[in-house]
Amino acid sequence: MDLLLQYAVNGLATGSLYALVALGIVVLYRTARVLNFAHGDLAALGTLVAYTALTGVRLPFSLAAMTGLAGAAAVGALFYAGVVRHAREAAPLSQSIMTMGLALLLGGLAAVGWGTDIKAMPFPLSATAVWRLGGLVVSQLHAGATAVAAVLMAGLYLLVQHTRWGLLMRALSENPVAARLLGVRSDRILAATWALSAALGAAAGLLLAPATLVDPFFMLNPFLKGFAAAVMGGLDSPPGAVVGGVVLGVLESLLAGYVSVAFKSTLAFLLIVMVLMARPEGLLGREFQRRV
Amino acid sequence: MAGQALVRRYDREFALVYGSFGWAATAALGAALVLAPLWLQGYFLYVASLIGTNVVVVVGLDLLVGFAGQISLGQAGFVAVGAYATALLSARAGVPFWLALPTGALLAGVVGWLVGLPALRLKGPYLAIATMGFGIAVQQVLINWPLVSGGRSGLMVPAPRMGPWSLASDTARYYVVLAVASALVMAAYNIRRSYVGRAWMALRDSDLAAQTNGVDLTRYKTLAFAVSAAYAGAAGGLTSLVLGYLEPNLFSFLESIYYLAMAVVGGLGTVSGPILGAALLTALPQLASRTREYLPVLYGAVVLAVMAIEPWGLYGRWLRIKRYFKTWPL
Amino acid sequence: MLGRGGDAHRAMGGAGWRAVWVAAVALAALLTGGPAHAAERGVSANEVVIGTSTPLSGPAAPWGATALGAEAYLAHINDQGGIHGRRIRLEIRDDAYLPPRAVANVRELVDRVGVFALVGLIGTANALAVRDYVVANQVLWITPAIDAQVWVGYPHTRHLFVTYPNYLQEAIILGRYAIDELGARSLAVFYQNDDYGKTGLAGVQQAVEASGGQARLVAAVPYELTETDLSGHALRLRQSGAEALVLYATPRHGAMIAAEIAKIGYRPHRLATFTLADPVMATLAGPAWEGTIVAGFFDFPGTNPKVDRVLSIITERRPDLAATPFNALAGVAFLEPLLEGLRRAGPDLTRERFVQAMETLQGWDGELLQGVTFGPGRRQGLQAIFLAQYRNGQPVRLTDWIPYPVEF
Repeated sequence: MDLLLQYAVNGLATGSLYALVALGIVVLYRTARVLNFAHGDLAALGTLVAYTALTGVRLPFSLAAMTGLAGAAAVGALFYAGVVRHAREAAPLSQSIMTMGLALLLGGLAAVGWGTDIKAMPFPLSATAVWRLGGLVVSQLHAGATAVAAVLMAGLYLLVQHTRWGLLMRALSENPVAARLLGVRSDRILAATWALSAALGAAAGLLLAPATLVDPFFMLNPFLKGFAAAVMGGLDSPPGAVVGGVVLGVLESLLAGYVSVAFKSTLAFLLIVMVLMARPEGLLGREFQRRV
Repeated sequence: MAGQALVRRYDREFALVYGSFGWAATAALGAALVLAPLWLQGYFLYVASLIGTNVVVVVGLDLLVGFAGQISLGQAGFVAVGAYATALLSARAGVPFWLALPTGALLAGVVGWLVGLPALRLKGPYLAIATMGFGIAVQQVLINWPLVSGGRSGLMVPAPRMGPWSLASDTARYYVVLAVASALVMAAYNIRRSYVGRAWMALRDSDLAAQTNGVDLTRYKTLAFAVSAAYAGAAGGLTSLVLGYLEPNLFSFLESIYYLAMAVVGGLGTVSGPILGAALLTALPQLASRTREYLPVLYGAVVLAVMAIEPWGLYGRWLRIKRYFKTWPL
Repeated sequence: MLGRGGDAHRAMGGAGWRAVWVAAVALAALLTGGPAHAAERGVSANEVVIGTSTPLSGPAAPWGATALGAEAYLAHINDQGGIHGRRIRLEIRDDAYLPPRAVANVRELVDRVGVFALVGLIGTANALAVRDYVVANQVLWITPAIDAQVWVGYPHTRHLFVTYPNYLQEAIILGRYAIDELGARSLAVFYQNDDYGKTGLAGVQQAVEASGGQARLVAAVPYELTETDLSGHALRLRQSGAEALVLYATPRHGAMIAAEIAKIGYRPHRLATFTLADPVMATLAGPAWEGTIVAGFFDFPGTNPKVDRVLSIITERRPDLAATPFNALAGVAFLEPLLEGLRRAGPDLTRERFVQAMETLQGWDGELLQGVTFGPGRRQGLQAIFLAQYRNGQPVRLTDWIPYPVEF
């Protein structure tokens, strides 16, 4: 029983970080209908900026983290303003391929700028200090990361549901043309959404960095898992992203422990496909009610 | 409009090549491709073979994505099926290559049809994830199944023989790739104009309207997956020939992403578009190999630039240029 | 949609124009340049050209530092006047760890650039993909950085010279050390799920079998190169209760698993392959790496003045390589025998002379490598490794050179 709980707790910690990545993807998809393949690379870039702020400029951690988030947000917003905005007429798939180009570009620039070697990220919470509850082991880092992720998710919820900005984002997501006709400054909102999504990604990267160690490509796998989780939860539903992330994390952990370590990704995807067969728009998605 | 011949015959609509200029240009292209080994060395023939292989995958992918309106982030899985099937049949079971390749493609097509079944209910990003899962599953199965994938060292594929010819030289491999790619590209041009192609386009534009008009969604959607998978499988067989070596990490998720990028960059919804996209993005890492660690930056910038400047892709821009000159000076 | 076409589309002979456009793009891309052959490929009056294909991008990019370290060292050699008045130019190509690109790079290097020799090349899959081509074109190949076991039994090794440890033999040595010296009765292996890791696993299995029932292999846990969460793997290892854990992993995953098992309170003896001998491991894994035993095939920085000198030569020219000293030095270790062969072959350089010169190396000590021996029919230059243990964040030598059988 202890072992089962341990796997579940590990899965919860990983899952909450998948959920954070998934949230970043969903926030953007909901408002802009673009699948951002560069999400992982934006996150990695933000994390590397924070790393330099920490080790090169020697800022205190909170400032360095803010710098990283701001850096990622700036690149995201710039990308929107400079590229995406001018390709508005393009089909969503073309825009997604554009983000793929951005992903390669950012990855290459990060590799040139920071080198491809693996770096250890200094972090205020220790990965090895643990609390023991019975036979259960919970590391400070896990607990802290989960808590921060939860706070960010709650903050996002408040932002989207209870602020004017969030209201405008929801308006744009429901009907972009009508929103613009009603005076919503779609360019500003979209640029802010890109920035917010990138910042969420960078936050996930910062929380993953101490355990995963940092290099320009360290967010590749978390991005894939976050993407799968977002889809499973429903791409237009932030709560779905959270649910999807946590479920995926726990499922993967249990599968790795009790079925097969070698096939854990395959089995996780199999389960996702089964979920999608039962609910083609994701667990909490609502996309496919449409006019004929 | 200046210079446009009057269309007098109905089959002009369906002809692939028409007009004396059209025939001359096509003949020139054909001659250039067939005679290439005379003035291209081995390295260039190898790159040309790689391009040809990718052309086959991407043309097939475009049939699925551009014509039928689906999406696939798991094409590499189908390529793997075709590659290993062809390699194992010809290397271990002694099946002649000209039979092993189509069998591998057919097997991949069947797998594609099977993947198409659960895909019936899914659309857009949801379908993308399902196909991505398929691609990852194929790769992980191969990694963990040494009997098929050749175990720790991958699978060496000895050069097959086709009749009296050994297909070991660059030139021989190039010709095989050229022949298969040409045949499949011609088939794609024809599928596009056939009732199957029209059914796909109808489903793409509005599946509900198409269904009310009698187009069977199940049949054509699974057929789209099957055909694009068969193309990928054929390309896999060509890969086993050109590379002479197979290992599971050749067929990763990143490869699937690259195929999709080639299709979109080239121009979806056409057959020539994927050819351009595959040629550009396959040749680029080789042409720019001296840029070393800046290569991903260049590659990403090229993809980004093409998509930003011309969302319809390279071929779309070409059509715009043609139209501009056609309608000049309006 | 584009597929529908229009008047303009039809009027210009449709597929005819398409054909021209396609031909123009495809052929223009291929029409550039011709071969660059001198009398002996890659050798001219004042230059020797060598080449390598290595991952400079993608998940395996950290290994690319080997080529960059070699390049920096060559800059130093050239500054000193080169060898026999010839500068040595290293052409580096990025293959992102993908076999088709490795093949294309190698062919470009041989066909178009015209290299005298290939040095390095990382990844067993890549090497196997290019092997037949390299042999058919009689290209000199110095130390492909792959499992040396691959060459055992391979007949065409005339132009191949390897100074890279054999993973299988190394794993046998690690396993034997765990059983005989550390007294471990149960062993577990944590390995990368590809040829590199599986060979390590096979070696440990052999050591266990050779112990005659004294020890058992209780767990073999694989991971994928792109894996970022090893908590499940760590739990599995703990469940096995193995007394000794052998690691065949990348620095990142080695550090991650060490941290994970420390976290859940599992403290076996840890033994790792030489690729995890970089001092940076202590930074990455922190206190969890303390006490890990690693293999090595050249002395670590800080223990040998010659090694330190090479490292400072490299970092003077490329300060960023100071972050991965082991990789940078390894690159020079691949290169060293080639340089010595060039020196011994004399100013009149041909492939044959080079092969004969290499075969005269008997117990040769370079700046990094020690005891390199080749000969007619002998292409495995190194036949011993040593073990070291991490103490206070630095690897400290634990054993003398431990020999293993020379098989090719």
